[in-house]
Amino acid sequence: MRRTMLYLPGNNPNMLTKGHLFGSDGIILDLEDAVAMVEKDAARILVSRYLKQGEFGNVEVTVRINGIDTEFWKKDLEAVVPMKRLDGIRAPKVDSAETVKILDEEISRLEDKYGVPQGKLKLFCLLETAKGILNAYEIATASPRIAAIIPGGEDLRADLRTERSMDGTELEWARRFVVFAGRAAGVDPLDTVFSRVTDDEGLRKETEFIKQLGFAGKSIIHPNQVRIIHDVFNPTEAEIAKAQKILAAAKEAAERGQGAVTVDGKMVDMPVVKRAEYVLVRAGLA
Amino acid sequence: MTINAVKREIPDYIEGYGKVRHYEGAFARKPEGAIAGAKLRCFNSDITDKRVSSVKEAIKASGLKSGMTVSFHHHLRNGDYVVNMVLDACAEMGIKDLTLFPTALFGVHKKVIDHIKSGVVTRIMGSVNGPIGQLVSEGGMEVPVVLRSHGGRPRAVMAGDVHIDVAFIGAPTADKYGNICGTLGKSACGSLGYAFTDADYADKVVVITDNLVDFPAAPVSIPQTKADIVVEVPSIGDPAGIVSGTTKVTRDPLRLLISRYASQLIEASPYFKDGISFQTGAGGIPLAVTAFMKEAMIRKGIKGGFGLGGITGYFVELLREGLVSKLMDVQSFDLDAVKSIGENPNHIEISADWYANPWNCGAAVNMLDVVILGATEVDTDFNANVNTEADGALLHGTGGHQDTAAGAKLTIIAQPLLRGRIPCVTDSVYNVTTPGEVIDAIVTEYGVTINPRRKDLLDAVSGVKDLPIVPIDELAARARKMSGPTDPVKTTDRIIGVVEWRDGTVIDVVRQLKK
Amino acid sequence: MKTAQAGTLESMDCLVTLTEAAPGSGIKINITGASAARFNSAMTKKINETLAELSVKDMEVAVQDNGALDIVLGARVEAAYGRLMK
Repeated sequence: MRRTMLYLPGNNPNMLTKGHLFGSDGIILDLEDAVAMVEKDAARILVSRYLKQGEFGNVEVTVRINGIDTEFWKKDLEAVVPMKRLDGIRAPKVDSAETVKILDEEISRLEDKYGVPQGKLKLFCLLETAKGILNAYEIATASPRIAAIIPGGEDLRADLRTERSMDGTELEWARRFVVFAGRAAGVDPLDTVFSRVTDDEGLRKETEFIKQLGFAGKSIIHPNQVRIIHDVFNPTEAEIAKAQKILAAAKEAAERGQGAVTVDGKMVDMPVVKRAEYVLVRAGLA
Repeated sequence: MTINAVKREIPDYIEGYGKVRHYEGAFARKPEGAIAGAKLRCFNSDITDKRVSSVKEAIKASGLKSGMTVSFHHHLRNGDYVVNMVLDACAEMGIKDLTLFPTALFGVHKKVIDHIKSGVVTRIMGSVNGPIGQLVSEGGMEVPVVLRSHGGRPRAVMAGDVHIDVAFIGAPTADKYGNICGTLGKSACGSLGYAFTDADYADKVVVITDNLVDFPAAPVSIPQTKADIVVEVPSIGDPAGIVSGTTKVTRDPLRLLISRYASQLIEASPYFKDGISFQTGAGGIPLAVTAFMKEAMIRKGIKGGFGLGGITGYFVELLREGLVSKLMDVQSFDLDAVKSIGENPNHIEISADWYANPWNCGAAVNMLDVVILGATEVDTDFNANVNTEADGALLHGTGGHQDTAAGAKLTIIAQPLLRGRIPCVTDSVYNVTTPGEVIDAIVTEYGVTINPRRKDLLDAVSGVKDLPIVPIDELAARARKMSGPTDPVKTTDRIIGVVEWRDGTVIDVVRQLKK
Repeated sequence: MKTAQAGTLESMDCLVTLTEAAPGSGIKINITGASAARFNSAMTKKINETLAELSVKDMEVAVQDNGALDIVLGARVEAAYGRLMK
């Protein structure tokens, strides 16, 4: 599950120590935007040591490296790929399959160099330009490493020559497109961050919206956002009960050799069963 | 030397304190004899005005002499002018060798240091903190400080362990005959609970007010029958330091996480039902626990009984919304609480004796279901230290920690595992304030740790969704692994602080730091 | 003598200042701040270990601490050394 992936500033010992405790499904140790230019070296060393120590509980651990247009990204990868507690790399400003190829090759080289199983590290691609969004499907299918595609927030707005609105109108199309591309490619579409950290109601609304669009989860910048998003994504008691009823009926029908059955007067076919299974996955019951 | 019931090696006699009664268990010691009292006094109709013209006149009239014991309440908190005002006057009058017996001291009282250095104050029985605590820890006083809990203090007075010669009571409102009211006036502080015992048992009571009203002042907290002398001064305190503004629930994620775990523990406990009573105090974590409990109470349709202790606006809100039926208030922390105690008959002023004294016919803490407390550290025996800091300095009073822990059915210490690098869960606390015998659970950012003695609680919380249960040894091991090994605190053999358990036995001592 | 710094005075961090020292003068360490009272030995050990890994024999090390764990202290020493060598 990737309902919540929490960014932790890579040069902040307090958050690197405690960030995994807040119940998010994943954490992102950030070497990019959360780190000042003059601190890139110190953050890289710090993050590398935290990954080596590996005290992160059960969360999915990723590192956001600097973009391939910077002098930092290769050093970033060199410092983090060998470390035992790393599940993936979040790459900024991916705008084509070509970017993925460059990243993929470098990660493969380092996996070989440090004896990490080939392909172990997943790629989470941030699509932060109009071009990146338009290439979403091509990017999502460019490597078996791709685990998720994520629309950008501020950078994408800048590229679109627009700015942030309260209801996020400017990102609406990009969001829908990323969901389509991700689902078509079989990778997770994950949403961008909600930056008004004290606006709990606004976050809840936005999460309800992006869940309805089909996103699998959201990137977050504050631990207090975890619970609100999980509340929205977690199935309700009624939904769980219904899903269990559907699965029980489907199982019974299969055992009897029957095809379709009805539950509460509604036909249960494969898509319905699939959705019911997904409800139980989200509820942590499957 | 004797090893007491919490495995501390304590001398049988302490210079400047006297013969030691050793701690034998939280409920082991039973009282004997009768209540010790104040001198009888007689006022006839020839005296209808107890006012004198100045603090010095009041001191003179009280008969205060060198070597005596003076008491103060701490309801004016960090805004208090009274302690400094009286001690300054004593110094100018050449009075020396006083025993200072406050219910608590605050940063604003750092001037006491000058009076310690000049010999006006030679003994403190009560909390020391900040610079005074540092001074004491480094050996700045000849005799050890005696630390007592909010309930242990009235017990000591009533048992005759301490005799108050003169009580100076800062009064937000009073009349010329000594009726005192805490809820009115520019220095209003709400409850005057901590001053009651002093008014009852001091030989002389001096009322110091900055809001003199026509006789009789009302509503009355402490009546004229206790007051010997009244003095009017321009100001008894700085309102900004007396009460805080409305306290907001924290947004600090770590504190919220710990608070949520604590609240989940309470919700899973057998005490979470109609009539539940609780004390949570004013700190960041306790206040957030109260907020989460409120959510849970509404969700489950539960109505609480009473809220106890230091009362905040947040508790007042619970009372107004019918989520608790009564507030028993020994100390009102903010303006909302001060206003409420003055207006709402279900918001009751209680004395420290009523609140927490183990030696009367039943303190309010005995009726408490749940209390949330903090501590500078706890250990694998669940002993808690609230008096000393990591560097061994005696910087905090005991407050109601011992009393509420002993009284409540569920005592929770809620605290981050580390503060910076300093572990808050250790193998053995530096000082024992409250024994593990009366502590049921520790809640940290790593989850809930239940005292193995409470098998029932362990059963109640296991299986609760999203609530990690961590054994105490695992928690201590984690803290040790993260912090690394600690260097021992370097001390001399000299005892500078005596920590009494609420029944007057010595649970631990604090030694002088080596410079 | 060349000097370099790394770290901050934020909670659970420390500010490490390295100053080059003459050959043969050894490692000199000065720790102040939050953990100094109870963690001097542990911190000294960590600094010595980190410098040994970097093959440094002579250095003046000043640490202003605000509750840094060993993992952070090591990272700050390494980062400061990297900057010193630039």
